[in-house]
Amino acid sequence: MERKLYGYRCRKCETLHYPFRMVCRGCGDNDFFEFDAEPLPRRGKLLTFTFVHNLPAVFEVARLGLAIVELENGIRVTGQIEIDDPELGMDVVGDIGIVRRDAYESRYGIIFRAA
Amino acid sequence: MRDVYAVGIGITTFTRLEYPLAEIAAYASMAALKDSGLRTVDHVYVANMGSGRINNQTALASAVVDTLSLTPVGADRIENGPASGASAIKEGFLGVASGMYESALVVGAERMREVNNLEATDFVATLTHPLAEYIYGVTLPSHAAMFARLYMEKYGVTARHLAMVAVKNQNNAMLNQWAHLHQPISLEGILDSPEAMTNNPWVAEPIRFFDCCPVSDGGAAVILASREVAAATGRPMVRLAGIGQATDTLAVHEREEPTDLLAVRRSAAKAYEMAGTGPDDVDVAELHDAFTILEIAESEEVGFFEKGTGHIGLENGETAIGGRIPINPSGGLKGKGHPVGATGVAQAYEIITQLRGEAGDRQVADARIGLTTNFGGFGNNVITMVYQGVK
Amino acid sequence: MAVDLEKILRPIDHAFEPYPAKYMTLASGEALVIRQATRDEVPTLLKHVAPLVFVERDYYDLVAARVYAELLGWYHFRMQDEYVLVAQIDGELAAIVNGRSVGPKLGMSLHTLAMRRGLRIGAHAFAAKMEYHIDILGQDEVLIVAESPIGFRRWMIEYQLEERFDTAHELGGVPSYALTRDLFERARSKLVVGRRPVPEDLLAKAHEAILPPTDPPTPPEDLLAATRAKYDSTLSSLILQRWAQERSAEDA
Repeated sequence: MERKLYGYRCRKCETLHYPFRMVCRGCGDNDFFEFDAEPLPRRGKLLTFTFVHNLPAVFEVARLGLAIVELENGIRVTGQIEIDDPELGMDVVGDIGIVRRDAYESRYGIIFRAA
Repeated sequence: MRDVYAVGIGITTFTRLEYPLAEIAAYASMAALKDSGLRTVDHVYVANMGSGRINNQTALASAVVDTLSLTPVGADRIENGPASGASAIKEGFLGVASGMYESALVVGAERMREVNNLEATDFVATLTHPLAEYIYGVTLPSHAAMFARLYMEKYGVTARHLAMVAVKNQNNAMLNQWAHLHQPISLEGILDSPEAMTNNPWVAEPIRFFDCCPVSDGGAAVILASREVAAATGRPMVRLAGIGQATDTLAVHEREEPTDLLAVRRSAAKAYEMAGTGPDDVDVAELHDAFTILEIAESEEVGFFEKGTGHIGLENGETAIGGRIPINPSGGLKGKGHPVGATGVAQAYEIITQLRGEAGDRQVADARIGLTTNFGGFGNNVITMVYQGVK
Repeated sequence: MAVDLEKILRPIDHAFEPYPAKYMTLASGEALVIRQATRDEVPTLLKHVAPLVFVERDYYDLVAARVYAELLGWYHFRMQDEYVLVAQIDGELAAIVNGRSVGPKLGMSLHTLAMRRGLRIGAHAFAAKMEYHIDILGQDEVLIVAESPIGFRRWMIEYQLEERFDTAHELGGVPSYALTRDLFERARSKLVVGRRPVPEDLLAKAHEAILPPTDPPTPPEDLLAATRAKYDSTLSSLILQRWAQERSAEDA
């Protein structure tokens, strides 16, 4: 099963959201769960980033790269990055991978690398 | 709605406290009650963020009202992330302004150091979006770092400006007996000398150790009352003149303009309107500087500086205690500490102290109008308040 | 048959390179000088260490008691190849670190005792110790253990020390960690700082006298109350200790 990151499009006014919300930000008029899930594009531009040194205990690395990426379709996402020398505005491409391991679970999310 | 006045204030030292959480809240409350001269109030509001998760204590308000022997007075706990304090003051204001209560005790308290630092960081991180941010390891410092990087790129803010905020606030805290940090620092020590990068290591690049507020325990309390009750106490009266609150998207990546703090701007506009004042009338302000970059950004969003020029005002000394618009004379969150639930009330404590003329060495001359901005989340739930000293 | 007992009881020290003093700027802007202490400075050091033996917080009591013993052992010539470094701010004692040489290629870190908190002074002094073993004495490895969780975080985690659990450390026989030359090189740029030579006036002030710390951790009224509290679910011993401390401070 290939994992994807999904955006949610309002069936009434077609506004695309990420992450999911119950009421559409565009029309405010949708019925319960009246959204369609659609896979988000994997390519985008690096909007901003950081390398976190003080991490919660579950992360066993010395530092973790995080970023906000603006995808090709204008939707922005937060994800991890595996890029040695990031630059603002650079092209990146994302893949789904394990981003966190809590007590009994692996959590999946998007990880960006240089395009 | 009738006018509401603050007539009593109380605070604990902000540090690592070995007292149970309810006692911390009660200590500040007792101090405020003694200050006001009132023996009881009509309602109790308790601001706190982590009692359930960190201190294994839910229904905190019930515990506080009991240990204060104020039963059968009603009590509620208010939680709004790090803006719990301001939210509780707002609720207290509404209770008295509406006529339902003649007086109210508003106390904020937090005991973060009952757990270790990593736990505390994770606890605060739970205010982020659970699926779109939290799972990635996003923490408040990482948000501040990504925000700071954009601010530096767009407006020319540098590491030196961040360090200047840290030095100003930690040195202000030296004049504040209840502040967490009583350690003067210098630009040479944290920025310029060859050892600076070791003294001031990365937390989340480009944010460094001294750009972040410490993890603290503490409590602060304010007694709010109607004009009649306030005047009868004979205590100095400070009027809560304006309140404004605004929210924004939970996920930081969904903000309209990544370098804007729209909720700060909107909440300040509403507070000014209600108080019938503007940014130029403000004599002293306590802004939410959990991270040094936030003091700079907030100083612009509340109207003290044009957007993108706050760091220049800082450089010119305009935000120092003797400057044009003193910001964080108490030391701010950076210098005095940040027990999250207590902070909003501690900001009120400082402004009320200033407007009463009781701030000693850190007194801002002729302070008549004060402003507080309490940030919940990362800029997505902000409450700004305007206070007016009554002569 | 006259036996010179002292010849039997006193270990013979190997000759080793002295530690070259260095200085650095702390976050407060003050200058910290780290230099080697001499045996005749031990009586002064003992006076400054003694009060900390009664401070239970953060394992100060245990570390201070052991440092006291190690200083005394060194003074009485009953410890082999021990060195002591002191960190001073304007002559005032800020930290003591010590260790031993086990062999030409192996060092044994003993203790790090910081009198001044909040400026990473303990961390700087520990780094100086490691610099001494690896750079100056030319050893390949230093064995390290920690008594306090703060120590564990600062050394085992920050330097990413290797486990050497099959080797018992001199301090209590607990499993050791090791700092290798490789690990030290990796940590050097981030953790090991300081400049040489120390300006004459700074060095002279440091050598003139080891002044008492102005704001050291102070002992509570009731010793070991915090530890007793761990076995007392009503927490009354902590409360009683707190009140006793506060009231005696008020009466004072």
